[in-house]
Amino acid sequence: MAATSSLQADGDKGKSSEASSKWLNAVSDPMTNIHTFPACMALADLHGDGEYELVVGDLGPDGRQPRLKVLKGTVLRESPLPALPAAAVTFLMESHEPQTPAVAIASGPCVYMYKNLKPYFKFSLPPLPVNPLEQDVWNQAKEDQIDPLTLKEMLEGIREKAEVPLSVQSLRFLQVELSEMEAFVNQHKSKSIRRQTVITTMTTLKKNLADEDAVSCLVLGTESKELLVLDPKAFTILAKMSLPSVPVFLEVSGQFEVEFRLAAACRNGSVYMLRRDSKRPKYCIELSAQPVGLVLVHKVLVVGSNQDSLHGFTHKGKKLWTVQMPAAILAMNLLEQHSRGLQAVMAGLANREVRIYQDKALLNIIHTPEAVTSLCFGRFGREDNTLIMTTQGGGLIMKILKRTAVFGEGGGEADPLLSQPVKLNVPRKTRIYVDQTLREREAGTAMHRTFQADLYLLRLRAARAYVQALESSLSPVSVTAQEPLKLHAVLAAEQGTLSSRLIPHGASDKPPEVGPGPQVVTLGRFFPGAWRGTPQEPVHFSNCRQPEGVGLPGAGMGPSRDYTGTRRTGSP
Amino acid sequence: MIWSTRNSAYTFTAPEFPILEKQNWLIHLHYIRKDFEACKAVIKEQLQETQGLCEYAIYVQALILRLEGNIQESLGLFQMCAVLSPQCADNLKQVARSLFLLGKHKAAIEVYNEAAKLNQKDWEICHNLGVCYIYLKQFDKAQDQLLSALHLNRHDLTYIMLGKIFLLKGDLDKAIEIYKKAVEFSPENTELLTTLGLLYLQLGIYQKAFEHLGNTLTYDPTNHKAILAAGSMMQTHGDFDVALTKYKVAACGVTESPPLWNNIAMCFFGKKKYVAAISCLKRANYLAPLEWKILYNLGLVHLTMQQYASAFHFLSAAINFQPKMGELYMLLAVALTNLEDTENAKRAYEEAVRLDKCNPLVNLNYAVLLYNQGEKRDALAQYQEMEKKVNLLKYSSSLEFDPEMMEVAQKLGAALQVGEALVWTKPVKDPKSKHQTASTSKATCFQQPLGSNQALGQAMSSAATYGKLPSGAGGTSQLTKPPSLPLEPEPTMEAQPAEASAQTREK
Repeated sequence: MAATSSLQADGDKGKSSEASSKWLNAVSDPMTNIHTFPACMALADLHGDGEYELVVGDLGPDGRQPRLKVLKGTVLRESPLPALPAAAVTFLMESHEPQTPAVAIASGPCVYMYKNLKPYFKFSLPPLPVNPLEQDVWNQAKEDQIDPLTLKEMLEGIREKAEVPLSVQSLRFLQVELSEMEAFVNQHKSKSIRRQTVITTMTTLKKNLADEDAVSCLVLGTESKELLVLDPKAFTILAKMSLPSVPVFLEVSGQFEVEFRLAAACRNGSVYMLRRDSKRPKYCIELSAQPVGLVLVHKVLVVGSNQDSLHGFTHKGKKLWTVQMPAAILAMNLLEQHSRGLQAVMAGLANREVRIYQDKALLNIIHTPEAVTSLCFGRFGREDNTLIMTTQGGGLIMKILKRTAVFGEGGGEADPLLSQPVKLNVPRKTRIYVDQTLREREAGTAMHRTFQADLYLLRLRAARAYVQALESSLSPVSVTAQEPLKLHAVLAAEQGTLSSRLIPHGASDKPPEVGPGPQVVTLGRFFPGAWRGTPQEPVHFSNCRQPEGVGLPGAGMGPSRDYTGTRRTGSP
Repeated sequence: MIWSTRNSAYTFTAPEFPILEKQNWLIHLHYIRKDFEACKAVIKEQLQETQGLCEYAIYVQALILRLEGNIQESLGLFQMCAVLSPQCADNLKQVARSLFLLGKHKAAIEVYNEAAKLNQKDWEICHNLGVCYIYLKQFDKAQDQLLSALHLNRHDLTYIMLGKIFLLKGDLDKAIEIYKKAVEFSPENTELLTTLGLLYLQLGIYQKAFEHLGNTLTYDPTNHKAILAAGSMMQTHGDFDVALTKYKVAACGVTESPPLWNNIAMCFFGKKKYVAAISCLKRANYLAPLEWKILYNLGLVHLTMQQYASAFHFLSAAINFQPKMGELYMLLAVALTNLEDTENAKRAYEEAVRLDKCNPLVNLNYAVLLYNQGEKRDALAQYQEMEKKVNLLKYSSSLEFDPEMMEVAQKLGAALQVGEALVWTKPVKDPKSKHQTASTSKATCFQQPLGSNQALGQAMSSAATYGKLPSGAGGTSQLTKPPSLPLEPEPTMEAQPAEASAQTREK
């Protein structure tokens, strides 16, 4: 961890912006190789020496090398974990001195407890109750009362109806081929069937005192839609609560033995609120989106949803406000500045920003070189207000909040759209356009007449050509649908002559059998300057910028007039 | 590590089965962060380990597939989930959702009903059933389902769908009621606020419309729907500068909105910046070449600029898209008159008179043309027709008549020796203004131009008089000038709010 020692700022660049910033850059190391979630980060004084350390349950670069990493100052220690960590917390087990917090890592069906960074205790979730019917069936199989086929039928029957799902053993058995059933039953019938669940989330809850250094219980959320509160000493289950769905994030306030409120964001897109004596949720917030983070700020529950927004709710589930984010939220956590009594929400966004909100007010935006996937704020080392972020690529960024920094409303950059007057991007018109307009005013009638006359002429010519083609059996009409005919019109301007070519194509791969060769219809002359003069205007059909009257045959101004080279407009 | 050894003690007797849900939490965390690649990797691993028994992994895989557009595949996977745990309503809900996305609404309804048996109190099932019924055009059933969804749990989305049903049924008042309730429930939802504002706008209740649109803008100052609607209202009242500043904000967000550029252009038009107006209109026309309203405005601006030949083209293009509007023919006739094609102008007027039922301008302009042609009798007939319409209007709304129109009409009346039969100065208007709210549900083409005429009319008249003045000075000689350019502004103004709301409704 040599790079972590770069405690000085990034260098010269950005000095001025740093002066105005509220943060000091402490560490910025893109190569730390930490891949984790906000739930797997904790800060604690693990050795009781006043130096706070960062505890990270690291999933490893590809989610295969789970490790417990502890960063003290600039020294990183690692030890391998048996399985991927779902959550990491630090908590005090007992109140007597010396008070050194333990580290708890939830992983799979177990919580691994470390003291002084040494393995101390392993708690395993009790197995789930097994369906008695299923148990009966297997017992019968064990005593060879039923053959595997009957067993299969009976298990299928249980699966269809029963409330309690089958054990893995039964589910596996239902998948086994007919020929292997016998062997499967023989191999497994002696074993008792078990159903095991795993921990999905974990947090801490003060046991009976609100103090900073009070003993805390562990609160576990399980895949079996339950919440468990563990005793910090004996690791017995003190309370059990059930939820309608699997909990993903937990937020707790209060003390276990006095009164507490528990908010659990679940996989069905709802947040459930529980109280001390409620076995079931008391209130429910249906988000109609998946929650991506849950933070309790003072008394407001802030939920980030995967529809790029933050919502504030009261304890009773009433919606207070909504803020739209510019990008997807990846991580959320609480920012608590004890010295000023400030509590705010930090949200790491996919657009490489970290935004800090107090209620609806944006306090600060931090730009990071990579998208932040987990973040936490608190005391690290001997510095009270440190923001620690890990990035998508496994980098680590630490920033220290300046002691003079005060967050005020509007501290974030105001919306650029509103702060500065914007100019409408109105396409400008050229001099030639104005000239043409004047010309049209003077000779509008003539233009119109010329145009109409020419239009009729063109139609007449087209009709004549069509009749001619029909009469001479050139049949320019595609007879079969397999050989469609395409007419391709090209407008060409060469040396003051505007001509359009109509080229018939056989759209099929064969060349058209018969048909007139490319015909060139010369429409007349035009101003070369006029085309060049107004290039920025979109050319569209109904645009009358093209001087209709000019030089078209039949107009008062014949093609004999010399237009070349000049940009003359208007009447002679 | 010390704990890893203990588990391996069993492994000799029989292979331990892995816990099926071992990495569900990880799959979920990756999924909600939209890190689908990582998510798929974990899913694959878990499915291999559990031999395809992990229901949640299949479930999330199906969700991802559906987000990526592979609805049919996702449907198969959801059905697999439903087989793995048949008691779970969630799986059935997702099966139904995939069916819904595939457009198989009837099948979706069946599956939702199945799911409803498993879970009685789920607003989502009720809501989605309601949406399915909307697509099947069974509005009553849809309404029932949505109401029961609201009963279970209130959601903005349900309110929106319920409001939509009433809009589809054409019951604006009920729709407004629903949206009102919705706004009460979630006062900061800008979509609800905007929709309510637009509905009020449609009914001509400007005060309330403005209130709600203003609220939208306080919560989201860049909401372009609300900006467009509020701007068009300001425009209607002649606040072109304020409207323009609003539009500027919107133009930063949505640079390619044809209605927006149309409205910006008409602001410039109101400020007599005709060149800018034409520029913006041409951009709007470029963005939406088939929109007749833009072509109409282009025609109008070109008429003002006395570019009659261009105006003729735009107007005839507009008529091709909208052949049922009298005002368009009238404008075309004005252009033709100025192009000295009286015969076609007359024919256009005939068509305009035939199509238009309520705009006295059509008849007045026609009468002026006929008078100038010396066909006094026909002119008189048109004049009387116009009187009828004016009288009708006077009693049906508190519409202010354009002063220039009145002037021309009076002069024409004098010339035709009809005398001052027409009372242009209106009687007491106060009782009539109440009618406005009463007659709200009828065609809005008359409410819209409220108050707009004057500002625009003046702008137009000054534009028209420009360059025309030397032709004549006397009272009667004014009648001989090619008539009534200044008299057409109303329909443009009408086009704008309608435009704004039309645009928002299509979303």
